[in-house]
Amino acid sequence: MKRLLLILFAAVSSFAAAAPVHVVTDNNASCDVGTYAAATLLLPYFEVDYETTTASAVNTVFTVINTSRTPQIIRVTVWTDLGFPVMWFPMFLTGYDMETVSMYELVARGFVPVTYSGVETGAASADNDANPNHLQDIKCARVGGSMTPEMVKRLQRILTTGVRDTGCVVGLKHQHATGYVTIDVTNSCDLTSPMEPGYWTDTILFDNVLTGDYERINPDAATGNYAGGSPLVHIRAIPEGGVASSQASVPMPYTFYDRYTPAGAKRIDRRQPLPSLFAARFIEGGSTGFRTNFMVWREGITGATSDECDYAKNEKLALRGLVRFDEHENATSIASTSLTLPAASATASNAAIFPPMTGDDRGGWFWLALDNGARSRPSQNWITVQMYAEGRYAVDFDATWLANGCTMNAPSAP
Amino acid sequence: MKRPTVFAVAVALMAAIASAQPRRTVGRGVLPFHDATIDNSASCDISTSPAATLLLPYFEVEVSKHVSEAKNTIFTVVNTSRVPQIARVTVWSDQGYPALWFNIFLTGYGVEGISMYDVVGLGVMPSTSALAPPGPKSAPNTDNPRFVNLESCATGGGELPKETLTGLQSVLTNGTGASAGCKVGTQHDFATGYVTVDVVNSCSNLSPLDISFYSQVLSFDNVLTGDYERIDPDTKSGNYAGGNPLVHLKAIPEGGGPTNKTALPYTFYDRYTPSGARKIDRRQPLPTSFAARFIQGGKARFFTDYVFWREGASVGATNCTSANEAMPFEPAVRFDENENPTSLAASTLTNTPMASAIATTSAMFPPITGFNVTGWMLMNLDNKAGTRALGNPFSSQRPSQNWLIVRLSAEGRYAVDYDATSLRNGCVSTAPVIAAVKAGRDQ
Repeated sequence: MKRLLLILFAAVSSFAAAAPVHVVTDNNASCDVGTYAAATLLLPYFEVDYETTTASAVNTVFTVINTSRTPQIIRVTVWTDLGFPVMWFPMFLTGYDMETVSMYELVARGFVPVTYSGVETGAASADNDANPNHLQDIKCARVGGSMTPEMVKRLQRILTTGVRDTGCVVGLKHQHATGYVTIDVTNSCDLTSPMEPGYWTDTILFDNVLTGDYERINPDAATGNYAGGSPLVHIRAIPEGGVASSQASVPMPYTFYDRYTPAGAKRIDRRQPLPSLFAARFIEGGSTGFRTNFMVWREGITGATSDECDYAKNEKLALRGLVRFDEHENATSIASTSLTLPAASATASNAAIFPPMTGDDRGGWFWLALDNGARSRPSQNWITVQMYAEGRYAVDFDATWLANGCTMNAPSAP
Repeated sequence: MKRPTVFAVAVALMAAIASAQPRRTVGRGVLPFHDATIDNSASCDISTSPAATLLLPYFEVEVSKHVSEAKNTIFTVVNTSRVPQIARVTVWSDQGYPALWFNIFLTGYGVEGISMYDVVGLGVMPSTSALAPPGPKSAPNTDNPRFVNLESCATGGGELPKETLTGLQSVLTNGTGASAGCKVGTQHDFATGYVTVDVVNSCSNLSPLDISFYSQVLSFDNVLTGDYERIDPDTKSGNYAGGNPLVHLKAIPEGGGPTNKTALPYTFYDRYTPSGARKIDRRQPLPTSFAARFIQGGKARFFTDYVFWREGASVGATNCTSANEAMPFEPAVRFDENENPTSLAASTLTNTPMASAIATTSAMFPPITGFNVTGWMLMNLDNKAGTRALGNPFSSQRPSQNWLIVRLSAEGRYAVDYDATSLRNGCVSTAPVIAAVKAGRDQ
């Protein structure tokens, strides 16, 4: 008998105990990002083909739900793919309200969703003035509507060429309007810029009440004919609750909006930070035309006090390391000094930035250390995997984070 | 310096901005201290991060068709660690009967894709071996200190005997043919059920209904990740795919052996664990209440299915699972786009087995009123088995565990799958009170 002398170690019970960790089982009490109602939602990447009719245009649609009985006000900010806030607008959500935002409507037609604080509420919803964290004068009597044609053209130009009126480059050049979106719970329909300290000290709230999802649609039968979708990234306030600028014991070492919050109150937003280390599966090639894109959101190196022309620096954000494992665990990698990705992108897994496949395998996974190295802490990131096959199948799903965003010393190599 | 004089495109749409004060709370509040953790593997929150157990909440396989035309579910398991791992794959019927189990050996950083069509349709289980050469960055195949025995891992997988395959298909399509001799699944057109994938210390063949599986075989390393894709190639009924991460259930705390204690109030495998050691698996429990969006009707032929995984109501180690056939849940509240709530009478029977996919147009859910085609539902899926007077299968009086996936489809070519939103984590024993929501009170 072929006895495999692969044997054995001590009995299970004799192993040393795991290193002690501080376990907390409460809600809204960890740094782990999951699909729970949150205070900020992130759409990590969008693409809109605004030059085509809606029936055939590549589009991204997202939906926001207020899971609470009380009304909420949200701030939607559209950022370029280099992390420049190009547009923002508020929306008033009655208790249990839901709003869908089509990026095509916004970018192609200039239609900003119209909401009212005077609207009739549902039978189970609280009154529209029942949120104790809202300001006395919320300025939400009627928000949204149509942008002027000049504004629409300007928006389209910035999201496709990145060029501002000043000549500064704040986004990359693409065929489609591209960027990312954040949605924050706020106390009013105030329009203070997210680049201003006042937005963080006087406007942003901390109630974990929002949920949402996105769908990206490619109706073109030749280039797409499919849709993909996933939850938005749910970023909770820890701890939750309180009025704007309330003082709280924030356990996280830094926060999602760290780049924008005022000096002396860097964690005032209380938002969970995003991780830097991920595992992401791929499949490419083969007779069924498998393809994989990685939709990657990355924290830029510019902040609220940066020069406008500095946003171009968010094009080539460094990475710490990428390793490709094929189905036989053969590992390939590229020197990290030559690796960069911008603040928001969708990149094919066979692009030159990724280590090549060796052998005949079609699948495997990547180990991705995305810290951009610009700070004394890891930078924040998110990855969504997009897979395609046969010109008719597509799926989106979140990559796996390997250490949460509060992990200060994530490994730089597997 | 050119400071970014950012223009807000929407400024023109707004009234002028005035400084204002909070409506009721004047001044800046100070919140009481709230204990929280920033450690990894230290909370009850489910997230897409490496775990000790993965759950595929629902699968469907059309075994009667050729693979190129059959509905199928494929899932992939990745070992994110350098050291080798053994994963126990258990295929359960939709009523929670373990119809088949097998082990896969994953070398360090190993990945294994499993087609449920291959397993259930063809009877071919993935072949893995502890003798396979590890990759250059992987540890040797003996290098996991948790392993107690690798002898049975030399040749894993292969083909099922024909009678075994016939029995498996019978259990998963009509619930009959189990060795238990009783009905253990619901009748369907397709083979249906759910799958669990556990990190274990050997290629043992112990049944998951045997308490020794939990006390002697299960390991506690949060190293596995995975995703699934469901494929419907039929150009009339489908022509699309949907995919999502598997449900990642971490061991809290991770590592070590079964004697380590956990702070979780109960665990995922609560119904199966030995008396006196009910939390020995240390797996995070799943939540009870969810928010799930729907879109149905309209000219683009929108459809939404809710995919349910629900904890059984039967005692775990029993073979007969009739208690899991039709487990009740409180009628949902449906909110349309104008927040109009509708609900069914509290006495309405709404029930499902452990794993199911149900259209949101079903009579099980409140109807839409008006002309809206979209909205969301608030659901409390507690099966009430934990609070019944006699025969509580759980270790305590608590809500049951659940998972919910939203499947949207349109135009016969678009489909997406994504997790519904958990309204509380699985450690919190309170769920939203639907009656209160309906009455316009806080949940």
